[in-house]
Amino acid sequence: MNQSQPLLKTGLTPSASGSAYLEIKREHPSDTTSGGLSPRPSGLKLTCAVHGPRPLPRSAPFSPQLLLSTKVKFTPFANGHQRGFMPDSDERDLAAHLETALKGTLLAERWPKSGVDVVITVLEGEEGSPSSSSNGSCDHLTLLSSCITVASAAIADAGIDCVDVATGGVAAIVLGASGRSQLILDPCPSDHQSVGRACVVAYLQARDEVTEVWAKQEGEPPGADGSEHSDFLSLVDGAVEAAKAARLVLMDTLKESVEAKLRRD
Amino acid sequence: MSRHKLVKNLDLDEVLDDYDGGLDEDVDEELAPEDREHLRRGTEEVRQTLGADFNTSNREIEDTLYYYYYDVPKTVNYLLSKWSIQRYFRAPLTWKDQKANTGSKKSKKKATEPKADGKAQTAARKKENRKSQNEETATSSGSLLESLAAGSTKTHHPGPASIAKSQEAEGLGRSSKKQAKGQPYQESQGRPTPASSRPALGEGSEESAVSQLGDLKIQPAPTGSPSGFATAILGLEKNRPCFSRTPAVPGMPFTIQNVANSKAFTGPSPDDVVLKAQSSSKGAKPAPKKSEKNAEEESEHLNGHLKTLSIGDENAKPKSKLLNVTAEHAKAKLKKSANFVVIGHVDAGKSTLMGRLLHDLQSVDQRTIDKYRKESGRLGKASFALAWVLDQGTEERERGVTIDIANFQFETETTKFTILDAPGHQDFVPNMIAGASQADFAILVIDASTGGFESGLKGQTKEHALLVRSMGVQRVIVAINKLDAVQWSQDRFDEISQQILAFLTTAGFMPKNLAFVPCSGLAGGNVVHKATDSLASWYTGEPLLSLLEDYEPTERAIEKPLRLTTDDVFRGGVQNSLSVSGRLDAGTLQTGESLLIAPVSHTATIKGIEVNAEPFDWAVAGQNVILHLADVDPKHLRPGDVLCSPSSPIQSIKSFAVKLLAFEHIMPMHCEVHRGRTHAPGKIAKLTALLDKGSGARLKGKKPRLIQPGSVAEVLVEMEEAQPLETGNRVILREGGVTIGAGLIK
Repeated sequence: MNQSQPLLKTGLTPSASGSAYLEIKREHPSDTTSGGLSPRPSGLKLTCAVHGPRPLPRSAPFSPQLLLSTKVKFTPFANGHQRGFMPDSDERDLAAHLETALKGTLLAERWPKSGVDVVITVLEGEEGSPSSSSNGSCDHLTLLSSCITVASAAIADAGIDCVDVATGGVAAIVLGASGRSQLILDPCPSDHQSVGRACVVAYLQARDEVTEVWAKQEGEPPGADGSEHSDFLSLVDGAVEAAKAARLVLMDTLKESVEAKLRRD
Repeated sequence: MSRHKLVKNLDLDEVLDDYDGGLDEDVDEELAPEDREHLRRGTEEVRQTLGADFNTSNREIEDTLYYYYYDVPKTVNYLLSKWSIQRYFRAPLTWKDQKANTGSKKSKKKATEPKADGKAQTAARKKENRKSQNEETATSSGSLLESLAAGSTKTHHPGPASIAKSQEAEGLGRSSKKQAKGQPYQESQGRPTPASSRPALGEGSEESAVSQLGDLKIQPAPTGSPSGFATAILGLEKNRPCFSRTPAVPGMPFTIQNVANSKAFTGPSPDDVVLKAQSSSKGAKPAPKKSEKNAEEESEHLNGHLKTLSIGDENAKPKSKLLNVTAEHAKAKLKKSANFVVIGHVDAGKSTLMGRLLHDLQSVDQRTIDKYRKESGRLGKASFALAWVLDQGTEERERGVTIDIANFQFETETTKFTILDAPGHQDFVPNMIAGASQADFAILVIDASTGGFESGLKGQTKEHALLVRSMGVQRVIVAINKLDAVQWSQDRFDEISQQILAFLTTAGFMPKNLAFVPCSGLAGGNVVHKATDSLASWYTGEPLLSLLEDYEPTERAIEKPLRLTTDDVFRGGVQNSLSVSGRLDAGTLQTGESLLIAPVSHTATIKGIEVNAEPFDWAVAGQNVILHLADVDPKHLRPGDVLCSPSSPIQSIKSFAVKLLAFEHIMPMHCEVHRGRTHAPGKIAKLTALLDKGSGARLKGKKPRLIQPGSVAEVLVEMEEAQPLETGNRVILREGGVTIGAGLIK
């Protein structure tokens, strides 16, 4: 009922060496009729701009390899609540995790004395449904997975040497309607009342490598009450599967962008 | 042996064995016996590992082994993964068959994918360079092994997309393997998935995911349709309703009348609604208001307190007392004040003479002099002790020469004096000009010692004398110094005085304005007191100090508009963040007056005036003053700027005519224009006319092409940047460290 396919395009920002745009639409049939003042975010919209590789400033100390710096910025209107312009802890958290995820993909030693800036702007962020109290963790995990995918697309668009493109995937264990916990891939934060545990990975499929894992758990651990998903590994495996699926989209986009570039040349 | 025989005996196989660059498609692809042996053994091993129930042909195993260069584990992995894919597809087709059927480039790449492995690459390198023309036929017809053998280099660099797909397949194989091992992680996929799960893989059943993978070649990856926002910013072609509308205003395409939003402002604004909701939800009663009366009383109370408060605002605008400065000046009956400059050749003893003067007047206490004596003695320059009174800089003391103008004030019973001790060295003539520009009269110090006078005459004695004359100095006291070194010889004194008198009269000084005094700075004869030495008894005149006091103050330009050339800009203490010192050239000023700074055209207000280190409310022309300024940024002020009254500001000009006394040969040339403390680059653009020395009338004749030293001429000077100059200003032109002329702006 809630088909949400991602749309990924590259080459959005002309001034950047590489850029990408990712959006995932969500329909909230119940919300659209409510006529609230500010319509709830209808999905996820991210842009990513990659600047570089460019020479480090003269003041910077010598670096034998490419220095990666990542920044995640929510627009003030990205979520239901307004954010300031100073980077808050969420943004710094996301940026740090994104940096780890991307660091594993870059062939940094090919670019000595250079730096690359990856700037992600969250135009519209997902939020858990207002009724659910504790979905904050899941929000960030799904957002990070999208950030990883869009950043990989932008880095590939910028033509920076990588071992492989990383894609993000999320798996979560949610409490279903029946009261049983379920493992689901790429959960939509607003659709689930309670997300027990969630995990995001950055996955390089060509090398079968995971460059970043971030897992969160809300509330009490389920304990050994016969829960089938108590294993953390199953979460990671699920997230990897989700990342593989995201890779299909990413590959298609990259192919398209390469074709477009060839046509232009 | 004939040539034919040689060819006949040639072993072709041997020769061609190492040859791998030519067109040798016809060479049989038969494997060497050892390779066969390898293959056989490898196949057995693989069979053993896979188990008996693994259904695959020997040929396939051999092909794979060849790919991996007889690497058994890799072969097993590959076969396992392929097997699992086959199972997923539930189709009898193998990879190879698929590829053979389609025969397209894409599938070919896929088939050769395992070659990405480094070892396989090296193994196949031998064949790589062979011509790739036949590859298509080979791929479609022969076995995998054959196709590989004829494989092209092209296949070694598959596009990223193909990598992805085959890896997709491999990945899937991996996961299926896991499943076979019994890991229970796939449950969520098998189960009806939650509605929200995003991509196809996580969402659909196993089957749908697999079929999607299988269809990869044909179908694009599942992407969503762009939202309106995405359409707009990405500029996608379809679904662009917002731009297809006719613009409401022609030529302004973005002012689209949006009917839906046209009433956006009729209701309460979102903020209002939110605030209202918040206030109602809190349910808090408004704070109980104080009665009106109470509030009024309180405010009055506060006002009363406020009135009693006052802030000592440092930046408060200083108030002018609106004095009639001219009248005040006349009323004040001040002591005479005079600024004099001490000039002369280097080492003539200028600083020492002034030090002696100050010492004998007790303007400097004995302790200080004793200290200087000790310190200079330590440096081996005991004779410089008195000079150190004025030469304060460390470098000046070490080198024993004055470098910058030293400023010192002292007072006698009748007059307040300001000494401007000029440097004698020819490198510091610009500083000397700065000093001379502030002076009313000059003391020309001449070294009377043997050889000293002669070298001085060749050196700066004449130049300085000419310069002070050009700066408008009328009166010169010639102090013939160091006479104690020649036993107070009257002959020597007479000889020097005559020569100097002759020179100074030719330079344009009036003989009545000249005075000569024999003295000794070091020993202290005829400076303040008469010389006690019996040898000097022949001199019946007055000592130097009395000659100084004889000075008749010249008429000051008090009635003229204010002009003050700043000499220094500094922070004058804690209270005054910005102070300037300088000589008031013309006009008057008082506290609270506003000034205009030229050439930057900023205004400043006078916060306070100091004359001779005492606060004053006013100052008149001729005084050396310190002004404390307010309402101005220090960056706007530089030494050499002119402060003037805003009502009659000084103009900044770029070119002007100068009545010039030439010291050197002058042609149209580049030069530095000195005025007081400042100097700026410029050039002599035109030699207008030669002038008569006495009357100043233009000499008849052609326009001069060269001005001889000593002659007077009118020239046109052009500055690179506009400078605050006006008629009557005296300027010095220098070029390459030499003064070439001095003159008056017309």
